[in-house]
Amino acid sequence: MTDPLVDIRDLSLWYEKFKALDNISTSFSSGRCVVICGPSGSGKSSLLRCINRLEEFQEGDVLFEGQSLRECPNIAALRSNIGMVFQHFELYPHMSILDNITLAPRHAKGKSKADAEALAHTLLERVDIADQAKKYPAELSGGQQQRAAIARALALEPKLMLFDEPTSALDPEMIVEVLRVMRDLAKDGMTMLVVTHEMVFAREVSDEIIFMDDGKIVERKETDDFFSNPHSKRAQDFLDRILMKI
Amino acid sequence: MTLKYDFDWPMLLEDPYREWIIEGFINTVYLSLMAWGIALMIGIFIGTIRMTRSPMLRFIGTVYVEFFRNIPLLVQLFVWFFVFPLMLPHDWMMSWNRLPHVPFLTALLALSLFTAARVAEHIRSGISSIPKGQFDAATSSGLTQVQMYRYVIIPYAFRVMIPTIASEFLTIFKNSALTLTIGVSEITSAAKSIEAWSFHGIEAYSVASVTYMTTTATVVLFMGWLEHRLRIPGLIAKK
Ligand SMILES: Nc1ncnc2c1ncn2[C@@H]1O[C@H](COP(=O)(O)OP(=O)(O)OP(=O)(O)O)[C@@H](O)[C@H]1O
Ligand SMILES: [Mg+2]
Repeated sequence: MTDPLVDIRDLSLWYEKFKALDNISTSFSSGRCVVICGPSGSGKSSLLRCINRLEEFQEGDVLFEGQSLRECPNIAALRSNIGMVFQHFELYPHMSILDNITLAPRHAKGKSKADAEALAHTLLERVDIADQAKKYPAELSGGQQQRAAIARALALEPKLMLFDEPTSALDPEMIVEVLRVMRDLAKDGMTMLVVTHEMVFAREVSDEIIFMDDGKIVERKETDDFFSNPHSKRAQDFLDRILMKI
Repeated sequence: MTLKYDFDWPMLLEDPYREWIIEGFINTVYLSLMAWGIALMIGIFIGTIRMTRSPMLRFIGTVYVEFFRNIPLLVQLFVWFFVFPLMLPHDWMMSWNRLPHVPFLTALLALSLFTAARVAEHIRSGISSIPKGQFDAATSSGLTQVQMYRYVIIPYAFRVMIPTIASEFLTIFKNSALTLTIGVSEITSAAKSIEAWSFHGIEAYSVASVTYMTTTATVVLFMGWLEHRLRIPGLIAKK
């Protein structure tokens, strides 16, 4: 195991003329759960999407297990070690849940159909929807869909899981079931980067918290420390605002 | 002066008229089905490369579509029939002309390439209608671009596009009538010959019209059934 698992060096990202990430340097170690928070438009999604090169950054580099993403000869193979979970689930609507989960293991990782399906059933059990394998995404509730999407990401047997606001599109009672799955994952030692506004989750589950604003990391602290005394005014304001809402 | 016209419907069942009608019908259906199949394959390919990141591939796709879509089909038929063989090297031209069914093959070529451009446009708009997140999900899971299109994007787009693809078959089917101009013995040309031989134009063209109408209705029914079979469970009910 290389440490750090992810090493971000002087990373900058532009969308056309707009600088969304401004010279970010940071790193993430294996086995840790890090929550990323910050106001809308601060660059949280962009940062996550650079880590598997869903966005082609213009400056700097990201090293995954020491491998430079910029110079990676086979980016698809590298991506197949990183699971990603999206706000709107993004399950493939024309495939059953089982097929959703087995697609990448079969075609990106070269698993046999039988192995991939066995793995899928184990994972569906783990996210508590073992009985939904044959159904199609639109036949599931939002919470079930997101748990299926988590199972799909876990089917890559990833070394890192990226979550981009996984509960923002869900009703409150469904948020709980998704957060429970994520908490169990963290407990099992999965390396996780989670963009979320769920501060209860952040406080209970995460090891560290990053606060972003304006394309920069304004603050990064151990979780307990962050909640007892955030340093920057912007982080304090943000926390006040978000905790007021709850 | 009164207009006098003696209807003679039973004559259509006599040879040679009966034979011409059957041959015409078979040729029309053959030509349409084959052209449709080829047009789908080429169209899916061209439509997909227009959506990739490669500027070169996108350019090739655009040139293809603009070229074949903007020249009237009748002109394309004539070009393929009269001009194209002249541009071949001499021995090639000789072997081309010696092929059996040159008009049929030419018609097939012209109809396929013309319709492929239209299919490509449908595919492109079908693919554009797919949420960007689907591409992100497939890419982030380590699928290659080709795998992503093969397993996720095209099957998805295809289901969205079943009605359009069906109507493209109907268009080919009706466009195939134009091929009589280069001597394909399809159903409209059969009607024309019957009229010329028997002077019974009403009966002759009625056969052609009824053929187009019933085939169209059959295809519409079949596509409705197919659409229902391939519908994405849960998705339609929710709309
Ligand atoms: N594809 C894009 N094209 C142009 N600008 C973009 C694109 N994606 C993001 N941006 C801009 O980049 C900035 C950072 O976006 P990003 O999505 O990373 O923010 P975020 O912190 O995830 O916000 P949110 O909480 O709203 O999801 C925003 O100002 C956004 O408008
Ligand atoms: Mg975001």
